[in-house]
Amino acid sequence: MVDYRIDRRSGVATYVQIVQQTKQALRLGLLMPGDKLPTAREVVEATAVNPNTVLKAYRELEREGLVEARRGLGTFVRRSLGAAPADSPLRAELEDWAARAREAGLEREDVAALFTAVLDTQFPHRTAEGDPS
Amino acid sequence: MTATLTTPAVLAEGHRTPRQLRWLLRLHRPAALAWTAFVLLTGAALLWLGGPLTDAAAQAWKAYNACAFGSRCSYDQDAILTYKDTYTYTTFAVLGAPFLVAAWAGAALTGRELESGTVRLAWTQAVSPVRWLAARLAFPALLITVSTGLLAWLHRRAWTAGDGRIDTAKPWHDVATFYAGGVVPVALALAGLALGALAGLLLRRSLPALAATVLGVGALWAAVHTAMPYLWPTVTKVSGLGEGPQGDGFIAGEGVITAGGDRVAAPCTSIFNQGCKAELTELKAVSFYRDYHPVSHTWPLNLVASGILLLLTALLVVTALRLVRRRTA
Amino acid sequence: MTEPAIEAAALAKRFGRRRDAWALRDCSFRVPAGRVCAVVGPNGAGKSTLLALAAGLLVPTEGTVTVLGTDPAAARPRIGFVDQDKPLYPQLTVAETLRMGADLNPGRWDAGTAHDVVAAGSLDPGKRIRALSGGQRTRVALALALGKRPELLLLDEPMADLDPLARHDLMGVLMGQAAAHGTTIVMSSHVVAELEDSCDHLLLLGGGRVRLAGEIDEVLAAHTRLSAPAGTTLAPHRVVETRTTGRQLSALIRPAGPLPGDWRTCAPSLEELLLSYLRNPEAPSSADTTTEAAA
Repeated sequence: MVDYRIDRRSGVATYVQIVQQTKQALRLGLLMPGDKLPTAREVVEATAVNPNTVLKAYRELEREGLVEARRGLGTFVRRSLGAAPADSPLRAELEDWAARAREAGLEREDVAALFTAVLDTQFPHRTAEGDPS
Repeated sequence: MTATLTTPAVLAEGHRTPRQLRWLLRLHRPAALAWTAFVLLTGAALLWLGGPLTDAAAQAWKAYNACAFGSRCSYDQDAILTYKDTYTYTTFAVLGAPFLVAAWAGAALTGRELESGTVRLAWTQAVSPVRWLAARLAFPALLITVSTGLLAWLHRRAWTAGDGRIDTAKPWHDVATFYAGGVVPVALALAGLALGALAGLLLRRSLPALAATVLGVGALWAAVHTAMPYLWPTVTKVSGLGEGPQGDGFIAGEGVITAGGDRVAAPCTSIFNQGCKAELTELKAVSFYRDYHPVSHTWPLNLVASGILLLLTALLVVTALRLVRRRTA
Repeated sequence: MTEPAIEAAALAKRFGRRRDAWALRDCSFRVPAGRVCAVVGPNGAGKSTLLALAAGLLVPTEGTVTVLGTDPAAARPRIGFVDQDKPLYPQLTVAETLRMGADLNPGRWDAGTAHDVVAAGSLDPGKRIRALSGGQRTRVALALALGKRPELLLLDEPMADLDPLARHDLMGVLMGQAAAHGTTIVMSSHVVAELEDSCDHLLLLGGGRVRLAGEIDEVLAAHTRLSAPAGTTLAPHRVVETRTTGRQLSALIRPAGPLPGDWRTCAPSLEELLLSYLRNPEAPSSADTTTEAAA
């Protein structure tokens, strides 16, 4: 199950946040194919956002083929995203590496800088869509 | 009072018309209870007055009258005094009923709702504002008519029981007795109800509306009483100069009839007074005359006075309903 | 449902006979069904009058207002209304208040919804209304309005005296209603920051007139914030607000065409937009952003 947290100050449109958080949940394996997404009513009661926003997000996810709406039953996950569930061996390796970095005396900021540098090399930055200024 | 919420899982079905009466009673419960207590107490007092108390007092009067001067007299003075007091209080109560109604109607019926804003709650349910007001007039009107009518009837019954048996019983044409035993308090109470509703709508505050309504009912009564002798054709009684003007009842006019057949105001009424005799002779007075209403006019006068009040009430009701319809959608 | 929830044509309301007693003047707008519409404006702009006219509590002096396809009187059972001071009968208990709602709205009452709204606030049903706090009264008033299963909900500053948690909770309740039943919600509010998330339609009033009306997304898209060198002429675009500090000119405009490349532009937030309009009452009103009813 996924619990949406809307950050009003982030400058990112609400429906985009919902889409992103759904995808995040899919990546982490919190949502599996066949799971039912919360109904629009459940989401708005918890977050107090406009129902049309939620529906817009769900439509976007449906457009990307990640979910499908079944009439009268709800919206269900169709396929998963990425290949790194929460308990994958990659995560175990990363935890191992982080422990070794700490033992070597690295601070949190050092680790973050190191990791970001590697990330930038291996996964080049796509320009983020967004507003000017 | 239940402390739990009822939760039927389906939409409430059944009665198509909103049940306003139930909530009218609930919202005005204290006033309804007070009125019921008032009616019960006054009614009980009147029953007691017209029954056992009259008997006791009549007996006491009999004993009193049988007393010769000088000898020791034993009679039940308490009974006589209690009768007198009870009669006074109950008469006041019956005459006060319209003012109680007026006070409640002005303060609570519409005035309080407009002042506190709850009228905006009442007018956004499924009831239209006109029907809301109509219910607020119809149900109390029914209750008031029945209860005030009952009290007036009991009063008349009590007075009739004492008439002739109680020496100091008020005559039929004593103002308080005449009204208390007739239909006028009922009509006046209904007028107070309508006036209170209208005052609340116009003034939108409960205290000013209360004052306006109570004063209005007082003014109405004064007007009705002033007009009363002229509401029905009078009976004229002509009497000799030695007798003075004659005729017991409500007096519409009196004076002397001169030799020429003219009606002139009487400067005085006792021919045995020398100065008076001179004045009357100067006027060439032949006899006294008096236009008055005898006891047989009791009901005609009552009905005409009440009829006028009811006509006024109807006008006030129509005005109030039209005001509500004009103000809201 | 393709007919608009509220449609006003040259709506005007005057209290009294004086010339300055006009609360609303020449208001024309349309609120499509199923929307959550925010009515915004300074005090005295006519927000409460507008809601009262739509609820059938007042009669227009000029013009017409059509609610749910008919006049407000005929639509009365289908409209829920909560006044600014949340009027309730102080001598009734919470349970009695809801039962009164059921009795006065026969055939339409949803006791489950009303009960849920009240229970979510942990309210003791046996407590009298006069013993409740402001937030609790608002909850009961909303429960009464929602229990009617209205198609249109008119709320006059519903969140005014609520703490942030209660605001969030009750907003959630309202949004849940809109999601479940497609209720059109029209609420007047001062708290602009929260409107952007929950509302998708906007009605901005000023001085009794409609200054802005339309879908929030479209209204925001139709305006641009810009910075340019001081002294730049902004014609032919419609200017809402300008400010010059030193050598820089910043402004909020409604572009009438393409903008010069040397202007730095960005889209305004809803709060910035509303504040600009509120600060500049003489700015030309943009009533032509009113959208046609789109279901």
